[in-house]
Amino acid sequence: MMKKKKQVPEWMNSSLWSTPSDHRRFDPPSPPPVSVREDPPTLPTNHNAYSSASSSSSVSSASSTAGDISRQGSVQVQVQAQAQAQLLAELSRKVIDKRELRRVASQGIPDAAAPSLRPTLWKLLLGYLPPDRAFWSSELAQKRSQYQHFKDDLLMNPSEISRRMYNSAVHDIDDAKSQTRILLSRSQIPHDDHPLSLGKTSIWNQFFQQAEIIEQIDRDVKRTHPDIHFFSGDSQFAKSNQEALKNILIVFAKLNSGIRYVQGMNEVLAPLFYVLKNDPAEENAAFAEADTFFCFVELLSGFQDNFCKQLDNSNVGIRSTIARLSQLLKEHDEELWRHLEVTTKVNPQFYAFRWITLLLTREFNFADILHIWDTVLSDPEGPQETLLRICCAMLILIRRRLLAGDFTSNLKLLQSYPSTNISHLLHVANKIRVQSV
Amino acid sequence: MVLVLALGDLHIPHRAPDLPAKFKSMLVPGKIQHIICTGNLCIKEIHDYLKTLCPDLHITRGEYDEETKYPETKTLTIGQFKLGLCHGHQVIPWGDLDSLAMLQRQLDVDILVTGHTHQFTAYKHEGGVVINPGSATGAYSSITYDVNPSFVLMDIDGLRVVVYVYELIDGEVKVDKIDFKKTSTSHSAH
Repeated sequence: MMKKKKQVPEWMNSSLWSTPSDHRRFDPPSPPPVSVREDPPTLPTNHNAYSSASSSSSVSSASSTAGDISRQGSVQVQVQAQAQAQLLAELSRKVIDKRELRRVASQGIPDAAAPSLRPTLWKLLLGYLPPDRAFWSSELAQKRSQYQHFKDDLLMNPSEISRRMYNSAVHDIDDAKSQTRILLSRSQIPHDDHPLSLGKTSIWNQFFQQAEIIEQIDRDVKRTHPDIHFFSGDSQFAKSNQEALKNILIVFAKLNSGIRYVQGMNEVLAPLFYVLKNDPAEENAAFAEADTFFCFVELLSGFQDNFCKQLDNSNVGIRSTIARLSQLLKEHDEELWRHLEVTTKVNPQFYAFRWITLLLTREFNFADILHIWDTVLSDPEGPQETLLRICCAMLILIRRRLLAGDFTSNLKLLQSYPSTNISHLLHVANKIRVQSV
Repeated sequence: MVLVLALGDLHIPHRAPDLPAKFKSMLVPGKIQHIICTGNLCIKEIHDYLKTLCPDLHITRGEYDEETKYPETKTLTIGQFKLGLCHGHQVIPWGDLDSLAMLQRQLDVDILVTGHTHQFTAYKHEGGVVINPGSATGAYSSITYDVNPSFVLMDIDGLRVVVYVYELIDGEVKVDKIDFKKTSTSHSAH
């Protein structure tokens, strides 16, 4: 019986895939250890955001491919200028059309304009800012004060809480005027609330139970992006940023007793905070912590089910999301799918788990993550679907190496994904959408 | 917010087999930052048990302690407060406030913690505060048989101290508190 072999889609037959020399037309991927930013490095240097090592290497490798760039350069600059103009036009409207904004934004934000446009763009896409510009200031003021209240309520330690709640007679031992000796009077404890209380309603008991979560958050925040000065190091700036990240995560954990804090949330939070804190508008940067909190809540609401352990095996949990990725790969590249899952038995859980739950923050360098997130957040299909398409594109881009590899080498490759041209990756991801059944 | 446990006069194994069960269930590791013990544990096993509750343990020697290397008195600073520790059998008359006040001035501390009388007391005088956490096991003393097990937990928060008094009365744990603060950050020496 003749089985009709499933055709490889047309676009995959392009010369792109065949010989390395043809790759040069499409901005070559860099040699693995050093990631190359093909666009001229317009990284925000005023905050010393990137460690000097990476920026110097990207400059040197950018100059070596200058020949290529100059050919493509003029076309790219044109496209970028157009995109920037469109974006600016859209953002400066009185009432912003979100659909139109999404369409323009998914083309990508040009690097030069990114630091000033990105914060506002992301805030709009995540629904933090309402579409009508007139309501922005009142909305921002209300949300920012709400966050301050959260902090005041939730970040107090039990000593302060009991001090504010119960007014008891306080003896002043330094009172030099009173020469008397007195037996210090004992007062009742309301609600049996003392530090060693094991009662469920005791504020002390709750405090100690949450102390573990807070310790975990503290440890994870200290380990976030150790190579980037914004997040780590001994500077006062880094320490205050870490403090802000901690506060946001603690408030989130206390408000969401359902999922509390799961390791990895710090990674999802980091780019968000970075973008909002580096807003050139002074006022926005000052309130970055409050704004980031609400954006983080919004961002996580789409992905929350991935973090919930109980939902792992359900049809909304992480397992089913990974299965959807698998299905997507099967639809678009059956040969690769078969080779990965059947022949070499590389279970997608081994690599896709981290890709999906951390929204690819651990797979690429920081600048690339911001670009990817531009697309993930702005795509009208929704962040989860877009993320799955990008993951699928990631697999397809390295198909040659995967098809040639066995279990060990494939797993190694997928768990430390080689750096690649991000615009190309997003382009392929976009194409998958078009061809989706 | 620093939690300091003050206890003493357990007299294990001579006069009591162990801490009361209700006390033991409350004393779990991880909550307390310091332990100050007036003395008369008396054996090393109790020392080890207290070490598991909290690594920062300070003990002064009681007359029945089997470990002879504990000091007679000890002072330590926690936050804004200076604490002094002494078993109290050296201060004669036992439990007399004037004599304890002399010891407090000698040690130059805000809070003096002593034991030996097996009775909980908390006094304030011109030099500061004197606290006696009583006997944590309710062991009899040379003065009286009628002893309720008790210990003290101090919550030092800035310039304020809340002293939680835990007593076992008729099989039930009763907790009271005493609140005091000091106004100046430095304690002037006499």
